[in-house]
This record gives sequence, structure tokens and C-alpha cells, in this order.
Amino acid sequence: MIRSIRAEWLKIRRSRIVPVLAVLPVVSLLVGCINFYFNRTVLQNGWYSLWTQVSLFYGEFFLPVLIAICCAFVCRLEHNNRNWNMVLTSPLSVTSLFAAKLFIVGALILAAQTFFVLMYGASGRLFALPGGFPMEIVAWSLRGWFASLSIASLQLGLSIRIRSFAAPIGIGLCAVFLGLGMYVLKIGMLFPHSLLTIGMGVLSQKGLTPAENGAFLFMNGLFVLLFAVWSIRRMKNEDVVSS
Amino acid sequence: MSASPIVETRGLTKTYGGSNRVNQVGLTVEAGQIYGFLGPNGAGKTTTLKMLLGLIKPTAGSIKVFGKDLAKHRPDILNRTGSLIESPSYYGHLTGLENMRVMQRMRNAPARNIDKALQIVRLENQKHKKADQYSLGMKQRLGIAMSLLAFPELLILDEPTNGLDPAGIGEIRELIKSLPDQYGITVLLSSHLLSEIEQIATSVGIISDGRLLYQGTMRSLRASAKASIRFQTADPARAEAVLLERGYLPVAQGNRLTFDYLRDEEVSRINRILVEQDIPVIRIEERKKSLEDIFLDLTGKERSL
Repeated sequence: MIRSIRAEWLKIRRSRIVPVLAVLPVVSLLVGCINFYFNRTVLQNGWYSLWTQVSLFYGEFFLPVLIAICCAFVCRLEHNNRNWNMVLTSPLSVTSLFAAKLFIVGALILAAQTFFVLMYGASGRLFALPGGFPMEIVAWSLRGWFASLSIASLQLGLSIRIRSFAAPIGIGLCAVFLGLGMYVLKIGMLFPHSLLTIGMGVLSQKGLTPAENGAFLFMNGLFVLLFAVWSIRRMKNEDVVSS
Repeated sequence: MSASPIVETRGLTKTYGGSNRVNQVGLTVEAGQIYGFLGPNGAGKTTTLKMLLGLIKPTAGSIKVFGKDLAKHRPDILNRTGSLIESPSYYGHLTGLENMRVMQRMRNAPARNIDKALQIVRLENQKHKKADQYSLGMKQRLGIAMSLLAFPELLILDEPTNGLDPAGIGEIRELIKSLPDQYGITVLLSSHLLSEIEQIATSVGIISDGRLLYQGTMRSLRASAKASIRFQTADPARAEAVLLERGYLPVAQGNRLTFDYLRDEEVSRINRILVEQDIPVIRIEERKKSLEDIFLDLTGKERSL
């Protein structure tokens, strides 16, 4: 397992994923800030209002896309040059391969998430918002990161299965809208993308009750596991197509 | 070494859409052999090798590697096997050396093996170049170096000299030949070139249309390249009749009578019979079947290049 992660880590070194990782949070933050700036008369809730604006674009749109891109990227490495042949004839198990890829995507998203929160803090200061930086935001971001893992588990499965880079990202975008719909219908706990909306406190800043938090964590764990099992079983039992 | 073969398949079959790409193949590769898997393009070589590595699942049949069932002991078997299937795999944005490091981490091999393997394929001077910028031959060498990295007990190479220039082919050939003695590696390699297999392999399996048509040592394949004797006479019809009467079984081809392998005494005896019957003997010639003839006889196909 550690070996798999170390190998995966080497593979993404000097790749072009890092700029993408930085640019998408910056873009969503800028869009959010501009929105906030021009609507300050309506948005009276200081730090929380700023959060609604920036996290709306980030959590609802850019972050799921970023996850999909990361997943497509770590799989594209293997789709190229018939590298599946090499990876799947190594003595490492398919399970550890999938886990390592999920770990790497998780680490990348955590980095992007941290970067995003830092920038949010900086722009809050820049707008000279009253009061200090609300620490709940950190918890929300962490929850958002946790929901990202279930999305990543799903997207990894898609990207492993589909050779194309863009198609799984497209599917991910459709899932975003589906997730929004399910959130509105109050069955958001049943879909990874709506879990992200819930976790990040994007549309509602009420916060979650301990029971809701528990359900949130449980559902995320369940989704990660479910999609992982689906992908791992598939990789174990089906022929490797490489051409 | 244990007595069981390194690779043993029984009734190995792979069916795609109703047709058998690989049909009832029973491979046996013994320890220390360089086994040449020979067949025209599309004969099922790569499909068979992929099944040996578990990359694709057989429709029927069993596979044993190192005497163990592949389905049950795959990680252990893969740990002891190096391979290069289809074209070389590599991460283009990484250098040759970094590619080797990825492989080293996946295989948990000692770091010093990297230099050794790169040296063996003579890539040590290009190891800081990105793999994307390698020529096809260099990529092939990198692929071989990666398959050698852990110095496995079994090395499976699919068309290892593809894309190499003649000098490179010679080099890789010498390298492969040295592996069993120097490192105790058993090699299973495929090729569609008879000349290639002839120069490297100690054993050979010939596959065509998914069927294994011949399997044995290179020596016994050569031995089956027996000479035939041809008599050319002025009256082939009468000559044939006369010889048939005396219990010989000539095959008439135009004005020639052909015999499968004949001992020298038999040749002179037939000659005397013909001369005594006043049939002018114009020519007696020996025709040796080349390996290529045997290969073509077996596969019934033009050799693809």
C-alpha cells in the first residue's frame, strides 16, 4: 500500500496538474468576490455572506470539476502507452492501486481546499469584513473534503473504465446538476455531489446537528467503499483492454 | 530448481465473439530455456502471453506458473515474473531514470538494480532524458530494462526486438541469450520472425490461428528438416512403374521422382535399377528442407515480415 502510494506520487511529479489545481480555486474565488462586491447592499452577513458567494461557485461547480479532472488525470497516465499492462502485471494488488490513486487525488484536493480557504481568509481581510475569521469555515471545508472523497471514488471508477479524458468529467458535470436537484428535494444524503453541498455549507449556513454529522460521515464512507468495490471488482474480473 | 515446468498451460482457450483466438494451447516452458513463441501476426501470441500474466482471463483451460495455479497465486507469480507486452509502457513526462524508480517502488526492488538494468540495455547515458523524447528503440530498451529490474525468475517478452535497428537487434539478442546463464532467468519470448527465434531460442512453439502446431526443442525442429532425394529421368512414367514394382514409394512431380529421406545405399540401388532397365538417369539431387519450409508447411501461410 505504501509502495503503491510512493509509486503514484512519483508518477504525478513534474506533471501539469498543479497549475490546474491552483487556477480553479482562484477563478471561483474571483467570481465569488466580484459577485459579493457588487451585491454588498443585499449581502449583510459579513464573512458568512462572502462564503455563500465564493463557495457557491467553488463547491457547486469548480470543485466537482476539479475532482473529476484530477481523477481523469491520474488514470490518463495509465491509459497512455498501454501502461495498464505494466501496472497490472506488477505484484501490487488492484485494491492497493485503487487506494493509492484515491489517496493521491485526496491529497491534491486537500491542497486545493486549503489554498481556497487561505484565499478566502485573505479576501475577507481585503474587504475589511467585521469580526474575525469564522472557524466553522475550516470545519465546513474539511467536511467538503470528506465529501470530495466519495465523488473522487466515483470519478476514479469512471475514468478507469472510460479511456477518454473529457467524458468522465462531462458525466461528473451532469452529476452536479443531479446532486443539486436531490439536495433541493431533501434527499441529498443519498448522492455524493449533494453531500458536498451539504458538507461545505454552500446553500445553508445553519450547520449540522450531531446526528446529521454522523449520517453525513456514514454516507460518505459508504459511497467511497461502494464505488471502490465496484471498480476493484471490475479490474480484477475483466480483461485489460489496451490499445 | 523444482521438476515442474516454469510455465504449463493445458487446453488454454480464449474466445472472442464466438471465434477462438487461442484454441486448446498447451505450452510447456522448462527452467533455463529460452522459449521462442513463433507465429504469424494475429496468430494469438499476445493473447496467450496476456493470459499467462492474468491481464485477460481464459475462456477455458488452466495455467500454472512455477507449478502454481495462476488464478490462486497471482501476486506471488507476478512478483517473480518480469514482462513486456505489446509495446513498451512508460510515463512520457518522466525521465528514463524516474520511470525505473516508479517500477522499483512497485516491485520493491533494491535501488542498485536500476543502474544495473540501465547498464545492461545501454541506456545509462540517456537516463536523464524524458521518455517522450526517446526513439522507438530506446523506448524498447527502457521497457526491457523495466522488465529486468527485479531480475525475475521468468521473463516474458512480446516481440522484444520490434522497432530496433539491426545493431540494436543483435545487441538485445545477445543480452537475452545471456540471461539464463548469467542470472538464472527463464525467457519466454514471442516473434513473428523465424530468423529471430532461430537465433535466440533453445525451444520453440509454433502457433497459427490460435492453435499450437509444434512444440519442442530447436534441435528436434531442425532434425525434422530432413532431406529429400529427387531423381530426374528421361522416362518418368516407366521409372515410377519399375520402382513401385520393387517396393519403393516415389512421388512423381513432373519428370522428377521424389523420395523422402533415403540412405546412401538406397540411392545407389535405385540408380542401378533404373540404369539396368535402360532408363537414362539425368540427375540425382538432394533437397534439404529449410526451417522456413517447415514453418510454412506448418502454418500454411506466407511468412509475414
